[in-house]
Amino acid sequence: MQIKVKCSCGQGNCPEWAILELQGVVEAQPSFQDRLRNLHIGLLCRASSQESYTFTVGYHELTGTKVPLKKPILVLKKTRVSDGDAVEGEGEEEKDSGGDIASPSNSRVQLAVIGIIRHKILFKTRPKALISGPQTVAMGKISTPSSLAPNCGYTFA
Amino acid sequence: MELKNRNGREGGAEVVLSLQPHSSISIAYHPLFGPHDDLVLLELDEKLIPDILQERVTLRGQPNEDAVLCTSSKTYAVKFVGTSNSLFLMPPSDQFAPRENVQDCDEKDSGKMMVASVLKVAPGNMELVEVAPRLDKLKLLLSENPYSFYEASQIEDSEGTEKIDFGLYRWEDLVDRIQASDSELRSELEALFAVEVNGFWRILDKDYKDGLLNMLLHNSVLNDWSFDALSEDDVVAVLVADGFPCNIARHCLQIYGHRVDGGIGGSCTWRLDETRVCVHFARRILRGGKMRLENFMEEWMKKVPEGMHPRFDMLEGEVLTEKLAIETWIHAFSVSSLPSTPAERFSILFQERPKWEWKDLDPYVRDLKVPGLSSESLLLKYTRRTQPTLDAEPIFTAR
Repeated sequence: MQIKVKCSCGQGNCPEWAILELQGVVEAQPSFQDRLRNLHIGLLCRASSQESYTFTVGYHELTGTKVPLKKPILVLKKTRVSDGDAVEGEGEEEKDSGGDIASPSNSRVQLAVIGIIRHKILFKTRPKALISGPQTVAMGKISTPSSLAPNCGYTFA
Repeated sequence: MELKNRNGREGGAEVVLSLQPHSSISIAYHPLFGPHDDLVLLELDEKLIPDILQERVTLRGQPNEDAVLCTSSKTYAVKFVGTSNSLFLMPPSDQFAPRENVQDCDEKDSGKMMVASVLKVAPGNMELVEVAPRLDKLKLLLSENPYSFYEASQIEDSEGTEKIDFGLYRWEDLVDRIQASDSELRSELEALFAVEVNGFWRILDKDYKDGLLNMLLHNSVLNDWSFDALSEDDVVAVLVADGFPCNIARHCLQIYGHRVDGGIGGSCTWRLDETRVCVHFARRILRGGKMRLENFMEEWMKKVPEGMHPRFDMLEGEVLTEKLAIETWIHAFSVSSLPSTPAERFSILFQERPKWEWKDLDPYVRDLKVPGLSSESLLLKYTRRTQPTLDAEPIFTAR
């Protein structure tokens, strides 16, 4: 089967998305684990005119830089459309001459480009613990492969 | 709740990317945050972006195959590269915008802090690796139902009635099934001498090809045509008179000849390719199995048309010879019948013969192409080379 990659961005106008990349994972306190939507994660600051950033999550501060990607990354969205917009399951057998296209519901997948990523803000170092608590709302902890911050609690400011 | 939840204007990726010195932005989970398995990140070369923008890119493959991405001329494997880092994916503010946010903006003012939202934490991204097109299946599909005398006669009998048959493929059916770009598929169809008959891509049955070529050669002799200057109109006219369809007659010239001049308005002229015609007869002779070399050569000389000169080197990549006691025997072993993936190719080669000298091996491997791998490194990967002395012929064995 064949999936056409659709793109409605026009000449070079794909909406640009951003990536924040950091080591390890950000974990919300257990009580918010299932309610992440809208939850505040941290504060991203650009301190100087250089492309250097800090990202403060809970009592941890990450330092990173904005880097252009060597190769751009496309954001593709998969959608399932039933064949010929027909009502699902009806009149589709005869359309399909192949027989070995085994997609059970006989719906087809479409891929559309919805964005492009050309830069990311990369925090490649381990987080630094802030001595005094930050003024901002602190929402989580960062657990890294090391034992740097294993039990860092979740605090309200 | 006020404290822990987002409380600001959605700025989106654009604000993150254009963050001014001495300023900051709050990062929050998006109102629609989730796994979003339908969102896929695909890393690709900048030079492929124009193909993407102009929608010249497709993914091809059956459900049981690994998908490949095809531009109009190249084929790429699609590989997932995972990362243990967290990739926070942030859309621009006008995509995935939740309705409530708009309200927020209208109501309260711009004094609020900017927020950028993380829609998804991506586990990694897909990347592309240029690969050789997977074309072996094409030959298999076309061999299911080659065009034959039987069918040709059927069509004449019942003209106009649509026959439903197995193993018939239109162009769209082929691109659905073959993991290759359009231009790679087209050139393979050409290499297989496939022809479009009533909308279906077909190869000709070997008996049918025999008959077709014989008729062409026979008529050339009869009409005293030169093999170097065959008029397309004349050839097609006689072949059609002998019962071959017009497009098949024209196709016959493509299989066994080269166009020497493209007639402007007038008829084209074709020259028969001596090697192709001679190879055709050699294959036919060897269909019966292996033969003593002298017997074969004698038979071959007899079979090829007058004026053509078969030479043994024409059969490179078509036959193998072996010495049995004092006799040399020959059998058919055509490179065109071998798989095109290196691992499978070498496996069959070493089944055929455990040891190869370079001059024998070369015709069976030189068509192998793997992007990014030279033919030397292919040999290094799949064979072991031994050379007893410096001036001895190197011998290749299986690894």
